[in-house]
Amino acid sequence: MSNPDHTLTVVVSDDDGSTFTLREICERGDCHAEFVIKLVDYGIISPREEAPEARRWEFDVAALGRLQKALRLQRDLKMNLPGLAMSLELLDEVEEMRRELARLNQQMQHLMGEQ
Amino acid sequence: MEFKDYYAVLGVSESATPEEIKKSYRRLARKYHPDVSKEEDADAKFRELGEAYEVLKDPEKRGEYDELRKYGANADGSFEPPPGWHSASGFAGGGYTDSDAQHFSEFFEEIFGGARAGGFSAGAGPRGSHRQRSMRGEDVHARLALFLEEAFHGCEKQVSFTVHEPDPNGRLVSRQKTLKVKIPAGMREGQHIRLKGQGGPGTGGAEPGDLFIEVQLAPHPHFTIEGRDIVVAVPIAPWEAALGATVTVPTVGAKVNLKVPKGSTSGRRLRLKGKGLPGKHPGDQIVILQIAMPHRHSTDAEKLYEQLAEAEKDFNPRSRLHV
Repeated sequence: MSNPDHTLTVVVSDDDGSTFTLREICERGDCHAEFVIKLVDYGIISPREEAPEARRWEFDVAALGRLQKALRLQRDLKMNLPGLAMSLELLDEVEEMRRELARLNQQMQHLMGEQ
Repeated sequence: MEFKDYYAVLGVSESATPEEIKKSYRRLARKYHPDVSKEEDADAKFRELGEAYEVLKDPEKRGEYDELRKYGANADGSFEPPPGWHSASGFAGGGYTDSDAQHFSEFFEEIFGGARAGGFSAGAGPRGSHRQRSMRGEDVHARLALFLEEAFHGCEKQVSFTVHEPDPNGRLVSRQKTLKVKIPAGMREGQHIRLKGQGGPGTGGAEPGDLFIEVQLAPHPHFTIEGRDIVVAVPIAPWEAALGATVTVPTVGAKVNLKVPKGSTSGRRLRLKGKGLPGKHPGDQIVILQIAMPHRHSTDAEKLYEQLAEAEKDFNPRSRLHV
């Protein structure tokens, strides 16, 4: 089925608004809806628009990625929900800082380089 | 087949107590978890840890493993189990707990009967119970590094990734898949691309999974990225800064002329509207001015500097340091 000669045109998920319903995101994450609802309660993931009815929630691709990360961390490190919430927040922060640090380092080199 | 030293993997001695093994596993699992660790081979390390722990935490499996260990590896480091070896604690009986057993090594499978031989039970994850069931294909996550120029202009890229699918006997096999993907202009670091239906194949008539590609940008020798803006440091001569000038500056697209205002100082940021990453809301290019000095001055120039020093003798460049 592999066909490298065929070129696929890409859909950029951040812009095209492709979303998953609660049922779809559960299917993709292979988890129960209760777990997703708890993650939303803890603010670990959030639907695009906070609707009171879970059936009307829509999640973006980033939320799916976070759900899967949460599932892996829970499975592998036996974390509970407050622990998951805090770790994911800290991991985000670390990731952002790493990027910022890399950017600043690079910028500093650019600024110093020509001297 | 290579002999796996599970004690070394977990960093414990042969005589370690179950408590010590558990403690060491927990510590290393946190350290090498692929979602946490930035080490390059974290994925492989973590899998190895899971496998080692799977064996050593279970007294029965540990006993069997210790016996095999005594039997030992061949002189060249390779290993064959003794003739007639059969594990009593094998996984065929559903002995799995909670690791992602699909990725255990050949060694593990040979000794304990692996996941790929099929038949392990609940809790083994979505890919474990592939037999006969209608199951959506797995989503595949891949990363793609682009040069800034490629992200700016858009490009065509070949993406290779691994999908898992059952062979005719129901065993999970991995297959390398290659796609040519057209990347639109203006992709940013960390953005996701979704390719519907390009992930793992579904079973029992179910839909295939999707492929998600996360874009990464390779560092550029001149430009850095801030959101949608592109930042570049542009050196100018002291007289260009003092008198004002029109200078040529690079953008990722093409060279443009930039008016440096009279009396500019080092570090001044100037904005070129719409010259950043393209898109619905294109970014800007930000130029940071940097005053550059010639490495040597001619005698004439030195004389001019002497005059300048005289004319500007009230200027104290170190005033903010209070000296």
